[in-house]
Amino acid sequence: MEMLHIHCMKLSCATSFYTMITLDNVNKSYGDFKALKNLNLTVKPGEIYCLLGANGAGKTTTINLLLGFITPNTGTISINNINVQKSALKSKQYLAYIPENLMLYPNLTAVENLNYFSGIGGKSFGKKALETFLDDAGLQREAFHKRLSKFSKGMRQKVGIAIALAKDTKVLLLDEPTSGLDPKASNEFGQLLKHLKNKGVAILMATHDIFRAKDVATHIGIMKEGELKYEFETDKISLAALESTYLKIMDYKTLEV
Amino acid sequence: MILKTLSKEFKESFRNGKAKIAFSIVVILLFTSVWLSMQKYNNANKEYLKATESERHIWDNQGEKNPHSAAHYGTYAFKPKQPLSLIDKGVDKYVGTTIFLEAHYRNEAQFSAAADQTGTSRFGELTPDFILLFLIPLLIILLGYNIFTKEKEQGTLFLLKSSGASINQLTLGKWLSLFIPIFLCTTIVFIIAGILLSNLNDYGTFSWTSLISMWSIYIGFYIVFINIVMLISYVSKRSGLSLVIALSVWIFTCLVTPKIASTLAENKYPYPTRQEFQAMVTKDKKQGLDGHNTWNEEAQLLKEKVLKEYKVDSLHQLPFNFDGYRMQKGEEYQAAIYSKHYNNLKAQYENQNKTYKTLAAISPFLPTRFLSMSIAQTDYATHWHFSDAAEQYRIQTQKFLNDNFAQNSVFGDWKYKADSSTWSALPQFNYTPQSLSTIIDTNKSYLIILGLWVLLSFSTLYLTIKLK
Repeated sequence: MEMLHIHCMKLSCATSFYTMITLDNVNKSYGDFKALKNLNLTVKPGEIYCLLGANGAGKTTTINLLLGFITPNTGTISINNINVQKSALKSKQYLAYIPENLMLYPNLTAVENLNYFSGIGGKSFGKKALETFLDDAGLQREAFHKRLSKFSKGMRQKVGIAIALAKDTKVLLLDEPTSGLDPKASNEFGQLLKHLKNKGVAILMATHDIFRAKDVATHIGIMKEGELKYEFETDKISLAALESTYLKIMDYKTLEV
Repeated sequence: MILKTLSKEFKESFRNGKAKIAFSIVVILLFTSVWLSMQKYNNANKEYLKATESERHIWDNQGEKNPHSAAHYGTYAFKPKQPLSLIDKGVDKYVGTTIFLEAHYRNEAQFSAAADQTGTSRFGELTPDFILLFLIPLLIILLGYNIFTKEKEQGTLFLLKSSGASINQLTLGKWLSLFIPIFLCTTIVFIIAGILLSNLNDYGTFSWTSLISMWSIYIGFYIVFINIVMLISYVSKRSGLSLVIALSVWIFTCLVTPKIASTLAENKYPYPTRQEFQAMVTKDKKQGLDGHNTWNEEAQLLKEKVLKEYKVDSLHQLPFNFDGYRMQKGEEYQAAIYSKHYNNLKAQYENQNKTYKTLAAISPFLPTRFLSMSIAQTDYATHWHFSDAAEQYRIQTQKFLNDNFAQNSVFGDWKYKADSSTWSALPQFNYTPQSLSTIIDTNKSYLIILGLWVLLSFSTLYLTIKLK
């Protein structure tokens, strides 16, 4: 049965029918405030979908809905065809999440943090395997056994990626992961995402960073006031056009030099 | 996941300087207090044995003496140190351990300075019970106040939930990380105390069952505290707030409630002052037979009754010394008066206990405090038990002496002297404390209340985590 499921996943992936992340007509309100309005969104395996938008556009609400932390007023949300509202715990088997400020446990080393989080996901690895995941995530070897209290944000993000790798995650949710990173660290992080994408992981990333989005994403959606205003396939739009569209949607006036 | 969480929490606590220092200080204090207590216990035991032997020697070697002179000369009843007083000194220090036994008077050394049964007046002493009752709950707070809030502040709780972590297993892992160090240090201290006590042969009433019962009470108390601290940490958003709330609960539970309980109990059911008590006893004594006063109305009535009963005209014709007989009847009357008034005091004590029991519902400290003292046999109940035993011995002694006087002399022969071998015929005072089953039975309501605290705290923690 499991073999059949894997076969179907591969087939679906190849034919692009199979979606790992699905939001179908999702509405979410907080009192009179409509945080999300009829959101329809899909992410397939091997895709990086970047949600662009200003603060309050509904990006984080979308991620929280996918994590099952909040429930929609209407609509359906699924991860790997598992209804999140009905089986939140089961759907989490397939996803990993990296928030804007990934803190982890400051008094534990990178290996210990990874060991604990993989244990939470029901997996157990030896020291060598844990080090390999950290290595794959791009963390310097000399940092493996150092406490996270001494880590920069970029280094912590790499541990977060190692956690996702150790979990063999199918879906990765990222909330402003590059905010506060220096350009080098941001670029390294982008490369890691591409690496995961090539492994077939479906990635949904909420970000303000239009340039990083253009660099890593396969698809980009622009959100405003809870609505998905535009969706693009990244390779079909230039950075200039993307920027211009984004600014137009946001009603930002460009600074003429 | 439970074991992984447990291991993670241990590593975090061990690497946290504050927690490590606090834990080390409490453990060192606990072991030091047991060692100090052991020294004091040994000294007190030596003094007890020495005083008992010495007093008996004096009694036995009074030489030839009128029995009633011996009755006034008196002797002492010494309260033996109970083995578990090593851990909980209870009210022993305040109620005194020696009662002077003499004719006509029931002395009340036991009522000297014991105004507060709950222990707040002993706050600050380096005794094992102080550390077990006050400092270990504080240590639980220091180790656990941020057990959930740190996860919220670091954002790791969000991450754990997003990883599909079971909150119940996570909670159990965290619970064990608080419980295991507390359990281990408490258990090791009790085992050490048990080994030390079981190797003492000078006073052989130590029982491992009592020690284990006392240990269970403390473990129950700590479980309640761990549950409360975890609950506070779970519902608080910030560690600072969690610490303040947990400390407030500690202050309310361990300091305020016991003090309120004492004040309420004393105000509602006050003991008479010593002067009032003595005035009441003296008044009642005057209304009855006075063994010394031959012209006392009751003495006259007794005389007439005895003459009639023995069908003689003169006290000289009686087959015993009427002076000794009258003395004994006077003692019996006075003993009944003391019994009445002490029973009134006991009734007040029981009423005060009811107040404590009612208030035990709002503080797990109270049932723990009272159960610990009871099992250690250093509570008021044990003191009453000892006091009553001493009084029975006093009555028995007076009867022994008065009978000797009455049987071996004739009326008016106040020069009669019992020979020097008489005194050793009086059995020695041997206090047998109450059995553990009696103590448990007497204190079962405290046991039930503490059990309910354990259940209630567990279910509140479980339901809060499930619903929130």
